[in-house]
Amino acid sequence: MEQVINELLETIMSNQLNVPVLQPILDSVSQLPMVGLIVSFILWKPVFALLICPGLSTVGILLLFFPWIERKLCARIQWRVGPREIVPWLGGLIQLIADTLRFLFQEVIVHRDAHRPYFLQFPFLSFLAALLPLLFLNAGNVMAIETPYAIQALLALVCLFPFFILGLGWASNSRFAFIGTVREAFMYFAYEVSFIIAVLAMIILFGTSNPMLMADKPWGIILNPIAAFTFFVGAAMATSRMPFEIPEADQEVAAGPHVEYSGIAFGLIYVMCYEKAYILAGLMTVLFLGGGSGPVIIAGLGELNGVMWFLIKTVIVLTTLFVLRTIYPRYRLDQGLNIGWGVMISLSLIALALSIVLVQGGVI
Amino acid sequence: MEKDEINRNMHILKTGVLSPAKRWSSKWSLWPCHFVTSCCGVELAHAFACGFDGERLGTLNMGISRQANFIIVEGTITRKMARALRIVWEQMPDPKFVNVIGACGQRGGIFWNSYNITRPSEIVPVDFFIPGCPITPESLLRGVRAVQDKIDGKDETTIKFKKVALPSDGTGQESTVPTSPKRFAPTPLVKLDIPRDVDWAFGSTMVGNLKSQLGGLYKSITITDKNRIAIKTAPEDLVDVARKLSGNMGLDHVKSVNVIDVPHERKFILEYMVSSYSSSELMPVIISIFTEIGREAEPEFPSLTPLWESADYSEREMHDFFGIKYEGNSGMNAKFLLAPETQTPLRKDFKLAEESYVYDESVPLNPEIELTSDLKMPAPEELYDEAEASDEFMILVGPHHTGSGHLRWILRVKGDRIVDVTPDPGYVHRSMEKIAENRLYIQNIPLYERANISDPFCMNLGYVHVIEKALEIEVPERAKYIRTMLAELSRIGAFFYDSGIFALFTGHSTGFMYVWAIREMILEATVRMTGSRCTPSFIIPGGIRRDVSKDVLDMISNFVSAVNKRLKKFEDIFIYNPVFIARTKGVGVLTKQEAIKYGLVGPFLRASGVDYDIRKVEPYEAYDKFNWEVTTGDAGDCLGRYMGRYEEIKQSLSILKQAVDALKKMPRGDVISEAVLGDYKAASEDIKGHFYHAYGNLVLPKGEWTSVVESARGTLLHSIISDGDSNVPYRSRIVTPCWMNLRGIVEASKGERVADFWTIYGSFGYFPPEADR
Repeated sequence: MEQVINELLETIMSNQLNVPVLQPILDSVSQLPMVGLIVSFILWKPVFALLICPGLSTVGILLLFFPWIERKLCARIQWRVGPREIVPWLGGLIQLIADTLRFLFQEVIVHRDAHRPYFLQFPFLSFLAALLPLLFLNAGNVMAIETPYAIQALLALVCLFPFFILGLGWASNSRFAFIGTVREAFMYFAYEVSFIIAVLAMIILFGTSNPMLMADKPWGIILNPIAAFTFFVGAAMATSRMPFEIPEADQEVAAGPHVEYSGIAFGLIYVMCYEKAYILAGLMTVLFLGGGSGPVIIAGLGELNGVMWFLIKTVIVLTTLFVLRTIYPRYRLDQGLNIGWGVMISLSLIALALSIVLVQGGVI
Repeated sequence: MEKDEINRNMHILKTGVLSPAKRWSSKWSLWPCHFVTSCCGVELAHAFACGFDGERLGTLNMGISRQANFIIVEGTITRKMARALRIVWEQMPDPKFVNVIGACGQRGGIFWNSYNITRPSEIVPVDFFIPGCPITPESLLRGVRAVQDKIDGKDETTIKFKKVALPSDGTGQESTVPTSPKRFAPTPLVKLDIPRDVDWAFGSTMVGNLKSQLGGLYKSITITDKNRIAIKTAPEDLVDVARKLSGNMGLDHVKSVNVIDVPHERKFILEYMVSSYSSSELMPVIISIFTEIGREAEPEFPSLTPLWESADYSEREMHDFFGIKYEGNSGMNAKFLLAPETQTPLRKDFKLAEESYVYDESVPLNPEIELTSDLKMPAPEELYDEAEASDEFMILVGPHHTGSGHLRWILRVKGDRIVDVTPDPGYVHRSMEKIAENRLYIQNIPLYERANISDPFCMNLGYVHVIEKALEIEVPERAKYIRTMLAELSRIGAFFYDSGIFALFTGHSTGFMYVWAIREMILEATVRMTGSRCTPSFIIPGGIRRDVSKDVLDMISNFVSAVNKRLKKFEDIFIYNPVFIARTKGVGVLTKQEAIKYGLVGPFLRASGVDYDIRKVEPYEAYDKFNWEVTTGDAGDCLGRYMGRYEEIKQSLSILKQAVDALKKMPRGDVISEAVLGDYKAASEDIKGHFYHAYGNLVLPKGEWTSVVESARGTLLHSIISDGDSNVPYRSRIVTPCWMNLRGIVEASKGERVADFWTIYGSFGYFPPEADR
């Protein structure tokens, strides 16, 4: 028994996050009996990835503050101020906390026509499903489950999202939800193929699907910009961003699958779309923007450098994705499908060919 | 409304361990549900656009009732809308709050004795009332603040009323209550064909031509005014006359369908006003064909819709108002504009509550209103059955829908294609025509302005023109120029309004914000000139209220250059956006023939290639003195309609510039015609203080007076029938451009994809309060 525990401890201690700045504090803390163990457990890389970054805490903080960044930025573009009065000196930074709390305290209405069990289950299930891909996302060299097939696993989990949206719409049993759901299903097929091919192109190019190894290579966006573009447009389609906000078109189908949800159930769906965007932006960072590598390395931060650069890049991608809504109107469903099945597939195939040529030509 | 509803929401917030968190979060996260009920919606949009930015307070406009917790009831709740309000309120999760903005949401405001309005406070519990007609964005945001305070527990009476004794006039006599100055003739003489001597050479040729064409079918043909001809026929001949006119004479559309109830002679006068888009010399001529039928409970009369499609909706409207059954019109089984249980309100025996000018406790402030009984009826049953039988899907859009405006559309779709669109208007029908019959001529200026507060000056102008026409008033030169300037300003404002809504309908909120910022500048200019943002009532018979000062003129000429600069940005982000062009090009095409057939008006008609602009056809004010062009297109699609208007606005800006330049050179002076003022010559530069003396007893000569002006969205037709004796109109008919364009939206949508419906709807610049009146 003791041997097992010792082995476990050894595993934990051998794979600690290395942060020189924190080392003195950690040394002193590790003298304490229980606390030291907990701290080293948290700093154990897989657990750190799961709980801190890119895992739960980052998601939580991002969900609370990223919509604020988005709203403020859109407001600036639109000659407005955005949320402010809640704390004027911080520019309304905690606006989203108020919104979240309000959703939490509000009544959850289950209307008569809804399929009650599924109507209530799907928001929670979809929230969890949106978290799962985080297991295979790396921030620098911090990763929850390190496997050579991480990208494929991540992609497979990402492709699960739309099923939950279909479930939401189906359980709502409302006309607008129905139309929105059908639109989502159509769009799902339209972007999925080209999206996957674009990722495949990068896997072929890098010769590995372990994201940890990709960071050492040159940036994907420079090697294969076509794949990057396809991936980005695919991400916009997958997260229903403008100009592909077709399933959730507010003015047309009244937010589509979400139309009947209220209170915290809607709150969960609302944050799910940000989660989804976060994961895709993270994947974009890993595949195309060099993951955790960065121009400036602060010696004191040690392995946190990778985490920091990963976060910075991800937030930039996220912001670009969300600011699209201030620039573009919305395509029609058939136009969206045309783009997905026409332009996007062609582009992804070109990207694939480009990758093969680059690999064969020995560029990488 | 049940009693416990009133305090339920505050009770939820005040109980429980987490009550402070509940209160804090509710306070800063009041998301108003997008429920546009009436014209105050324009100001609501301003409050949440970049000028005032309601999002500062954490209030984010949300389209869907389930996710919102706040309703801002925007003005009038009609009997039809009452149902929607109640349903929307019930759909929202607790705790929820209601603010009512606008005077008509409280005690009816200017529509207080309308037969079609209800009081929101009887339908849902109201937290805060914001007065004003319309409210200003500042006061709306103050209302949001008040609800926040209420949530915080600071629930105080914000306005305290106190009684004051009016100062005596020093004579020691008790002041007497003025009696109602209205004068109704006991047995009014209603004649539509009073001849008038006018200098109109083409008129006599036209009459001769008509006589030879019609043979013995007419009773009389009269020239009632310049460009106006009235043909009286026997009831059985009317269809034949119409056939001849539409077939041989090229009179291709109906401008107005009217019915006049004459109870003391036991008759209805049925009238159709027709004109031509295809023949340029007939364009300014409006021919009114009328006949008299017996006044029964439900008289029947053959419909002219088979001949003139454009008469369709107006006939349905008359069916609602007078109970006349037009045989051959498909909409005669149900009400179109009114709630199903409403009686025929425009008949003379349907009386409205009489207004009293002094507050009297015994007179109720509001007439008794019975709530509608059909609070739950979603759509006509037979429509459901039909759709089900033919394997179609029915979508009900509105009146509470982010992309519906204040009316309901019943879309029947097969796959992604629209098979049929059934409009269900009347959600903002505030019964202007009936109210106008009970008010002095002068009181109707602000009333008719409320038809469209995004285009107020053109609305003013349309009504005032009728009075000036009837009384043959010549307006001073300076006033004419100022009126032209105002009308163009208003046209530009309306275009920006529509562009903003169009941008929203295509999902482009930045486009909305940019044009709304420009609109804010227009309103600023309007405020400087008139003192009011949206409802100035500035144009009065014989001129304008007061002169415009030089610094305002300077401001407007600066405005023109400022707009040009900002329009560039708007072009870049919205108009030339590839997605926008992809969405609108080739969508919702109406050919020239179709446009004429369905009687479209204004820029939407011109976009289909008909060169018809009343400003050129029958020039009024100073339009013939400026250098400008009519813009026509031939695409007839959404992009064409929009770009046509855009080009038109560039012309308008040029007119504006020319008008301002001309005005700067012109000496200041009379802006009100002396013919109207009579003894009050002192008021010729500013009417303030002399209004009722000069205008209170205005009486129009006997007969029917019709005037058309080109408002922002097209032909605005006003027609007043006067008995020559009363100082209120006997019958007042207003045909607004949006009402005529409604049919265009329906026809253009057929066969298009579902998402295209909103681009088509947006491209038509449909403003429901204007259509419903």
